[in-house]
Amino acid sequence: MKIGPFFMDNIRLIVNEVVKKIKNSDNEMLESVRSEYFGKNGILTKILKSLSHYSIEDRKKIGFETNKAKAILESEIEKRKEDLKKALIVQKMEKEKLNCSSIFYFPFSKGSFHPIVQTMQDIVLAFKSLGFSVAEGPEIETDWYNFEALNIPKSHPVKDVQDTFYLDGMRSLLRTHTSPGQVRVMEKQDPPIKVIVPGRVYRNEASDASHSSTFHQIEGLRVDKNVTFLDLKVILTKFIHKFFCCGELDIRFRPSHFQFTEPSAEVDIQCFSCKGRGCKICKNSGWIEMLGCGMVHPNVLKCVNYDSELYTGYAFGIGVERIAMLRYKVDDIRLFYENDLRFLKQF
Amino acid sequence: MRVSYNWLKKLIDFEFNPQELASVLTSIGIETSVVSKECCWSNVVTVKVLDIKKHPFANKLFLCKVTDGLNSYSIVCGAENISLGQIVPLAKVGAVLPGNVKIKKVKIRGEDSEGMLCSKFELGLERKSNGILVLDKNTKIGIALEDILRSDSILEVEVTVNRGDCLSHLGIVREIGAKIRKMPSLPEIKTFNVPSLSCVEVMPGLCPRYIGTLISGVKVGTSPAWVVDALEKSGIKSINNVVDIANYVMIELGQPLHVFDVKKLDSEKIFVRRANDDEVMVALNEKEYRLDSEMIVIADIMKPIAIAGIIGGKYSGIDEKTEDIFLESAIFNVDLIRKTSRKLNLLTDSSYRFERGLGWNITELASWRAANLIVEVAGGVIKARQDLRSVKYEETIIGLRFERVSKILGYDIKRDEIIEILRFLGINLRLKDEMILCTIPSWRNDIKIEVDLIEELARIKGYDVIPAPLNHKKSDIAITYLSNDLFFPPIVENFRIKLNGLGFNEVLNYSFSEIGELEKLGLKYFYKITNPISKENEVLRPSLLPALYKNLLLNISYGCERVAFFEYGKVFTENGEKKTFAVIMWGKIWGEWWKWLEQKIVPKYDFYFGAGVVKNILPSKEFEIKRNLDPESYYHPGKTASVVFEKKSVGQFGILSPMIVGDLKEDVFYFEIGLDSFDSVCFSNKSFYKAYSKLPIVRRDISVIADRNLQFSEIEKVIEVFMRSNNILRKYSLISVYSDESKFSSNKISYSFRLSYRNDDTTLTDREVNENMRALLHKLYVELGIELRR
Repeated sequence: MKIGPFFMDNIRLIVNEVVKKIKNSDNEMLESVRSEYFGKNGILTKILKSLSHYSIEDRKKIGFETNKAKAILESEIEKRKEDLKKALIVQKMEKEKLNCSSIFYFPFSKGSFHPIVQTMQDIVLAFKSLGFSVAEGPEIETDWYNFEALNIPKSHPVKDVQDTFYLDGMRSLLRTHTSPGQVRVMEKQDPPIKVIVPGRVYRNEASDASHSSTFHQIEGLRVDKNVTFLDLKVILTKFIHKFFCCGELDIRFRPSHFQFTEPSAEVDIQCFSCKGRGCKICKNSGWIEMLGCGMVHPNVLKCVNYDSELYTGYAFGIGVERIAMLRYKVDDIRLFYENDLRFLKQF
Repeated sequence: MRVSYNWLKKLIDFEFNPQELASVLTSIGIETSVVSKECCWSNVVTVKVLDIKKHPFANKLFLCKVTDGLNSYSIVCGAENISLGQIVPLAKVGAVLPGNVKIKKVKIRGEDSEGMLCSKFELGLERKSNGILVLDKNTKIGIALEDILRSDSILEVEVTVNRGDCLSHLGIVREIGAKIRKMPSLPEIKTFNVPSLSCVEVMPGLCPRYIGTLISGVKVGTSPAWVVDALEKSGIKSINNVVDIANYVMIELGQPLHVFDVKKLDSEKIFVRRANDDEVMVALNEKEYRLDSEMIVIADIMKPIAIAGIIGGKYSGIDEKTEDIFLESAIFNVDLIRKTSRKLNLLTDSSYRFERGLGWNITELASWRAANLIVEVAGGVIKARQDLRSVKYEETIIGLRFERVSKILGYDIKRDEIIEILRFLGINLRLKDEMILCTIPSWRNDIKIEVDLIEELARIKGYDVIPAPLNHKKSDIAITYLSNDLFFPPIVENFRIKLNGLGFNEVLNYSFSEIGELEKLGLKYFYKITNPISKENEVLRPSLLPALYKNLLLNISYGCERVAFFEYGKVFTENGEKKTFAVIMWGKIWGEWWKWLEQKIVPKYDFYFGAGVVKNILPSKEFEIKRNLDPESYYHPGKTASVVFEKKSVGQFGILSPMIVGDLKEDVFYFEIGLDSFDSVCFSNKSFYKAYSKLPIVRRDISVIADRNLQFSEIEKVIEVFMRSNNILRKYSLISVYSDESKFSSNKISYSFRLSYRNDDTTLTDREVNENMRALLHKLYVELGIELRR
């Protein structure tokens, strides 16, 4: 038998027609299409069965063309099936629509970290990234570590400024600053030292919006050969830029006095509230005191048997509450210790 | 301290306005703010009086016509000194005068008044005035009064404790002088050759220098306006001309002075001595003070006449009849003055200055200055004088090495500049090799060592002119790490993060407690504060519970339905300060949810949930939960357990005893754990990987009936021993607890367990599982009499 002149074209025509049909079929119709063309008596099956009647050359051509047609149709059927499945899911989803407004959600309680602890950790992190290590000291201190080793003599007006809680009569006291940490670190090791000492400190004074009998400080100390006042300025400027993430607010270094540093300075930051114009929070000065610092006083170095000619150092003390107040715009320090959930949940 | 801008300006010539001056002073270490302009007049202008008529209905009032050159105004005025053609100040409608007096348009006895002609009193310039202020004839009209009468500004200066020398106008002026490199111009102070006195006797150690001046024939009366004005600006009340001068010189030069009425003294001799114990003196403030031997008094032969350096006695005070006075200018023992002031709780302008130390030479300067002014203001003659020095003044000389300046500061200051700054600080200099020998002026007792001089240089130059290059690097920095390099012990970080995820809120409380509160919780205290300010801080907390429980109650009172807090801090026990972590929870575990409400599910914190939280947050398997053998008395004895680490109980948890919580209906769960043993333990290094089987798990449920009184932990023990003896039962969990009198006796209880089986190597057969279950039941029956529920 010979293939007619339009045999191949016919196969192609059939394919085109069937593809159209498939595209409009549902699942049932797809099955009947399948049996009509690929079933035992399907048209394409028949053609393949009749191959033996043709010459080898024609067999190849017909076989190739028919198998190609079969493959096309099968893939079209699968595609259609897939589409029908998807359509079904779409339909289902349409039915399952929920009201998605948040009032329906499960009310997980949200935890929070205390703003003072967060601030403290962030300050510690900032200094760690500047190469400081971290040490800790006791809260119950002796007069030696809290005052005398820091060049604060027994009778000194500065002791009025830092009113002290005493324990056991006068034998021990609650540290009034984290500076005893300086002495303890230097006692323990030789220079070079680059350390911060975070912790809780106490002052015997009545609390008000900006004073609290309990608060937190972070002490910093660096001692080495050739440490200068300029280094101090650099490190603190870096810290402030890092911590407040911007140069938006101005900072200033102002001469001040601490018994255990010389020269001494205080660092002010421009008032966050009024941007320096003057307001209640900054008591109209436009500036907010942020930390005290200076070059370690030679008498302090002598107390721990360091050679003050060879070694110099800087120290600083940062009030954590003050920074937290700046950072979160909290205007009353007592809020930090009231532990009202309406406050805590904001952080 | 308050100082007058105008006064400062009289003593030194500078260009700054008050605001600028404040920031200059701040920049050199004296924190200064402008308090207020002494007076501020808005809407007060100069006008000319055009016409004066009698008020038709009031005898003492006039109707005036005045003009500011543009408009004319009708004013009702009561001043007798008013006359035609005068230039006077008019407060127009809308003006605000000192004392917050607002000027409005008014009718006075039927006549309109469009403002007020002002007296000095009304302008806040005088305390009492007769008639309106008449200005110079040539004054322009229609200009703001402020522009003619330049008012003063008051500056509030905060002087650090080491700078007692700045507690006067002179002191501040010296600082300005150093900054702008000018010398202050002191008022002329005349000294006289007068006979020497020897009436003062000083006991050793009390008074390094005492200068007494006898002035006779003074006339005590009111002070002239300039004195009253000056004192008022510094916040000091005017008393009489003699006392006022003493105070005036104090705020001018910084030396506190005292004046005695000679006629009131019982002896010619004056003694500077320690007070006798229980000696009593009534002071100028009318209060009686009981003295002791740690206090210095000035006394005549009979009695104390002043508490040295602090306050004068009432008896020897100056009054209108005083004629002869004894003027004291002295230096006293700083420590004793300080102690006395604290003991008597008496802080005066005088004690404040003495405590901070005075300059040796200022004492002399001030004695002459005051004597001069008293004679000028109150008359009289300087009769005699005694300058008693019980110690020799020794100059402080400090060497300053040029090389050390940059070594400390990290930047260079030129030699010329160093020398210039030191000179203007009043320091005498002598160059010697690479060093300057500095003779420190007597008033600067804060400068003791070389580095103090270096601070002076940095301070006067200004900290802000020091560059802070942020790329500035040092090559020789070696970093040292301490063994404990973590801010929180790792276990605390573990607790915090997990609890935060579970919806707990972190709190911080004060470290203090009240004894009464502790007693209620059955807690002992170990540290008592010697000097508490209130009951709230009488002892250090021995536990975190008191404050956390208070936090809980506070939030309940605000209507909270759920409180779940945690805190990390130190507690103070018999073994010293201890790092401690605590959790408290109460109320609804979750907020109410519509889907659960439909099924009436409102879960609340109870023992089991709380214990689940504890189990969940513990960082490793090494922590075991065991029966609480020694529970704190604040726990419900039947609802508590303990946390054991390496065979030691480290923490406890449970429901607070009903004895404590009283009316609170829901359970309060509390957990406290001591952390000192895990300070640097890093728990993530403590668990090791174990291979696990990929074969499936077979689950079986069984129900058993046990004696109600049997401790559940006994059952657990048997099951666990059984599990260890075979290798296919992997896990068991409790799925129900059930009692039903209709089915089994009331002293029995039923537990259902879900058992999970798995063999690591082969798939389990039913037979193997059934055999194992039978063996378990057998064990339970033999050891505890537990039967299968059928």
